[in-house]
Amino acid sequence: MSRKKVSIIGAGNVGAKATYYIAEKVIADLVMVDIAEGVTRAKALDFLHAGPLRRYDGPIRGTTDYAEIAGSDVVVITAGLARRPGMDRMDLLKANAEIVKTASLNTARYAPNATVIVVSNPLDVMCHVALRASGFAIRRVVGMAGILDSTRFRYFVAEELGCALSAVHAMVLGGHGDQMVPLPRFTTVGGIPITELMAPATVARLVDRTRNGGAEIVGYLKTGSAYYAPAAAAAEMVEAILTDRKHFAPCAAYLRGEYGIEDLFIGVPVILGRNGIEKIVELELTEEEKQGLRASAEAVRKGVDDLNTFFRAT
Amino acid sequence: MKRVTIVGGGNVGTNTAFFLAENGTASVTLVDIKEGMPIGKSLDLMEAGPLRGYDTTIRGSNDIESLAGSDVVVIAAGRVRKPGERRLDLYKDNAATVREIGEAIKRLAPDAVVVNLVEPIDTLTLLIQELLGADRRRVLGVGGLLSSTRIRYLVSAELGISPREVTALIIGPHRRSMVVLQDSIRVSGIPAAMLIGQERLAEIVDQARHAGDTILELAQSSTAYYAPSAAACSLIEAVVRDTHAILPVSVRLDGEYGVRGLCAGVPARIGAGGVEQILEIRLTDAEQSAWQTAIAELKTAIAEKTGRRIA
Repeated sequence: MSRKKVSIIGAGNVGAKATYYIAEKVIADLVMVDIAEGVTRAKALDFLHAGPLRRYDGPIRGTTDYAEIAGSDVVVITAGLARRPGMDRMDLLKANAEIVKTASLNTARYAPNATVIVVSNPLDVMCHVALRASGFAIRRVVGMAGILDSTRFRYFVAEELGCALSAVHAMVLGGHGDQMVPLPRFTTVGGIPITELMAPATVARLVDRTRNGGAEIVGYLKTGSAYYAPAAAAAEMVEAILTDRKHFAPCAAYLRGEYGIEDLFIGVPVILGRNGIEKIVELELTEEEKQGLRASAEAVRKGVDDLNTFFRAT
Repeated sequence: MKRVTIVGGGNVGTNTAFFLAENGTASVTLVDIKEGMPIGKSLDLMEAGPLRGYDTTIRGSNDIESLAGSDVVVIAAGRVRKPGERRLDLYKDNAATVREIGEAIKRLAPDAVVVNLVEPIDTLTLLIQELLGADRRRVLGVGGLLSSTRIRYLVSAELGISPREVTALIIGPHRRSMVVLQDSIRVSGIPAAMLIGQERLAEIVDQARHAGDTILELAQSSTAYYAPSAAACSLIEAVVRDTHAILPVSVRLDGEYGVRGLCAGVPARIGAGGVEQILEIRLTDAEQSAWQTAIAELKTAIAEKTGRRIA
């Protein structure tokens, strides 16, 4: 068995933290690519210095050169700008689309057999960019969203009930935005649905907090956004693919008719393994849940339309 | 670091020590009357430590007095079932052993949380609780958690997915008549029945009811011990690390689920003091009647073994 290789594009907070989590969890060669050469190399070195104490091995490299991702099994695209004052949604979409496009073209060039995990925002739209630019099979491009949204939901439930995090499982479908669709009847504590353990108003409050989980952190940080939980979610996906874990979890996947949705990336339950998305699992949803998913899909579709307009213009 | 004493250096006891060491949960004392044996096994485990990267202390002892000052005492000293032997026949031997250990706990570690792994679980957990006169929350039996991990594995194998996100809740006595709550068998929150169908799920549950016997038949000379040790380890970790995990555990009921004065499996929140809260969840009519049947069977079994009738 040869050693696995994982490349992380973008060595900002999310990318660097994801690199660190992956180093602690799995044995793989790690490469961080970023346009900021000094910072990237410094972070990689710092991680290596901690290795003897944290018990992981290198190599971990920081570079500006995409050629170094050659032969990667997984490429995680975290690069992108955070929204800055005065920048509108469309400006951000354009800027990040360019960044993700560059990362995806280079992935196709140097690591044509990789599975791509997209982390950059707006997530579902950036998945489209990565799929198009890479030309990869659809099961090899997967977006990180549902695992993050559900880990937040899981934490809120555990906190509310004063029970261990490990007892809680959750399912959050839809786009990675405030129209995401947390599913309380599929959110459980030791197998018991939370709808049996909490009043409806409490469930609604936790669902709402989940929808705004990212914004809540931005509200506290003022100048930055969350990175521990997003990086942990990305690392979980990397591990599932490298270890062929057959992890059943919600991820952004390209749908071709599943859930009545055509040609769109959106969060649905999938099985993640060696081959990327190995299966999309179609659940029977209630009418209300279906409506939520459709509304969320429309919001994503609008972003994709904006993207198309922009790409046609350039 | 907390101290866990495991009484019984057989396969279950030794593997529980092994899991605790690998997780760095607590320092462990392994006690057995068989001369030298627990000391040799502990030494072997310590000598694997540099390679396995753990540095908890595991000490072996032939002296029951070693359990003095333990935070948790694990009773894993029972004789195992022989092929074809009924649980009933084990009772006399194991009850005598457990009684002796219980007396030592009462004298040497009266405030410890006690975890019982000796079959028949519910009957002997009750015996220990009464002997210690202890707060019922501090005496726990490992039953449903073992059946639960077996079902979780079988469901994950059926679906070809990772078992980590699979849940399954089992209540009632740790007997073949245990009550498996079908709706609690889920994968990342999604009911397994939605993914594999009711019928196949029922077959898997039935397989799990016989899992202990299946392993005994295959292994011939030994009963299962990895899964029982793992179940014990999860319970001990929840206590030592005060995690408030939600786990099925056998505990003396005091009116919960309509039962009083018996130990049987229920979902509970487990922390430093043992059982922090028993979760009383709504049962379907079928589950309710299965629960009543299982409790009635348990009462009959206790009456047969001890001559004692519980209303």
